[in-house]
Amino acid sequence: MLEHVELFFKSIFIDNMVFAVFLGMCSYLAVSKKVATAVGLGAAVIFVLAVTVPLNWLLDQYLLQDGALAWLGPEYADYNLSFLSFILFIATIATMVQLVEIVVEKFSPALYNSLGIFLPLIAVNCAILGGSLFMQAREIPTLGLAFNYGVSSGIGWFLAILAIAAIREKIRYSNVPAPLRGLGITFIITGLMGIGFQSFGGMLTGGDDGAAAEEETTAQKIEEVQKEEKEEIDENAVSYTDEALNANP
Amino acid sequence: MSDKRLTFKKRLHILKHHYRGKKMAPAFNAFHTFLFAPNETTHSGSHVRVADDLKRAMNTVIMALIPVLLFSFFNTGYQHYSAINGFPQAFSIWDHFLTWENFWLGFKLVMPLVVVSYGVGLLIEFIFAVIKGHEVEEGYLVTGMLVPLIVPVDTPLWMLAVAVVFGVVIGKEVFGGTGMNILNPALTIRAFLFFAYPTWMSGDKVWVHGAVERTGTPDAISGETILGYLAQNGSYEYSLSDMFFGFIPGSVGETSTFLILLGGLFLIFSKIASWRIMVSAVIGSLVMGLIFNGVVDAGWISTGSKFYGLMSFEFWQHLLVGGLAFGIVYMATDPVTGAQTNRGKWIYGFLIGFISVMIRVFNPAYPEGVFLAILLMNVFAPTIDHYVVRGNVRRRMKRLKHATILPKDTEQAEVPKVETV
Repeated sequence: MLEHVELFFKSIFIDNMVFAVFLGMCSYLAVSKKVATAVGLGAAVIFVLAVTVPLNWLLDQYLLQDGALAWLGPEYADYNLSFLSFILFIATIATMVQLVEIVVEKFSPALYNSLGIFLPLIAVNCAILGGSLFMQAREIPTLGLAFNYGVSSGIGWFLAILAIAAIREKIRYSNVPAPLRGLGITFIITGLMGIGFQSFGGMLTGGDDGAAAEEETTAQKIEEVQKEEKEEIDENAVSYTDEALNANP
Repeated sequence: MSDKRLTFKKRLHILKHHYRGKKMAPAFNAFHTFLFAPNETTHSGSHVRVADDLKRAMNTVIMALIPVLLFSFFNTGYQHYSAINGFPQAFSIWDHFLTWENFWLGFKLVMPLVVVSYGVGLLIEFIFAVIKGHEVEEGYLVTGMLVPLIVPVDTPLWMLAVAVVFGVVIGKEVFGGTGMNILNPALTIRAFLFFAYPTWMSGDKVWVHGAVERTGTPDAISGETILGYLAQNGSYEYSLSDMFFGFIPGSVGETSTFLILLGGLFLIFSKIASWRIMVSAVIGSLVMGLIFNGVVDAGWISTGSKFYGLMSFEFWQHLLVGGLAFGIVYMATDPVTGAQTNRGKWIYGFLIGFISVMIRVFNPAYPEGVFLAILLMNVFAPTIDHYVVRGNVRRRMKRLKHATILPKDTEQAEVPKVETV
């Protein structure tokens, strides 16, 4: 239960799709002129993520992972099909988006019209594929958590597009310098909103002593990398001097 | 007095006429308005006749900030000399705090921050006004005063200048100047400093003058704030009255909750700041503090946990330490970036208090969560307003639906009367 709550808030605020990893920017920038449209697209993204992430989790678990095909028989146990994940994930997502499109067209033609070209574009929205790939990369253990992850990262994206749509409605009458009108000011606002969302950055880092340990490890890593770089440089220097020596005997 | 000697005011007046309609006109107009009473009246459109124009509103806030600034002079000196010579055993305000020595050190350290903040910020305002050809707006007057009060005392002046440039240009001018910005410019400046130069903005060395330079020497002094001690599960030796009156280390002007409270009352009394935001923010922080205290009382968290120190901190004492009080009174109530609707103000303020204490406790990297919480709520203020307004519209539509019959009846009743007449 606790891990569900933690994952939920973490994916909404800390690992926000827009402000932490900057995914799904295209539709986020393009469809955020009006709050009503933004809410529609945000709801569509939540829905699609909530369906595709668990589906892709099943695919990943029983088809793609290293040794996932073991249920077919012992002779399939050492197959690793994970190189197919992009294709299969995208196929699942495209199918689901078609389904959403049909449903929306049937039940809410107004929303369908206002979303226009952007609903099919969800199929190639990086936030959607990103959700599935993050799910794979973070090795989310259960189907329930995968569903939770899909919904909550969708809600994070929804909140982001809702906030920027409200801000863009508010600044409609602002005297923005002409070269910045439209997309320019939207990018600037997104950056400033990112600063606001920084308040959650680093929060809840791994319970009781995780944060300190992580900090140490990152510090150590940095040191190691720096050392390696130094050594490389030294080695290069050595080899250069060797070459120089060889060149001028 | 001969007639040939012109007063400064006259010279300015002549210059103003000389440059009327030219590019530099806004600069001279701004000086004239700032130094003397404006002699212009509104000449177009419908307008509301009130005495409190933007200049007066800004000046009221600055008046509320002056005691805090004066206090900060003394406190800077007091913290510095006490850290070196040891804190006085029997503290007496006249002997140890309000001394000329303290004042002079604080004045030497804080005034340059004020001068740089105003100088750089107003320069940018003037440049933009001249380029865009509008009058210089008074919006920077308060920002320029807030900025030096929310930074650590040893902030290098060039950093402050860079941050002010960022805050004023990106935070305000690109949106069209005063009244159009999304985020509070003073907080944008603070956030820029915090993320660009974190070593100068947090830690245990920056809050008292001289602590950074003395690190590693036999004369080393500590400038840890109370929140810093708590975040390390340590103990501190400041009494409650020290916290309330502000004899503690911290950012330049944030320490004295007492003077901030007076300033807040003054702002509420003069109707410049919204009491709804202040009250709801206080409630929000108390609620979050109570929740954390409840978690500790229920025994869900062990004394070894890194959150224990801050979670077990008495809920109401959160208001006395750090920048929470300052942020609530002077920053959250910014009329431009805050929520505009009354119901929205309650939600906005509550969430500021709530999230501030949450960040304070849960985010070991940022014990000063207040400014980030206010920035976050600035981001969501338009959303809150949008839904408050929508809700109101929907409620009134419903009311209209239920109360349809009456007006039609009266109309129909009246129409035949007219015909008979």
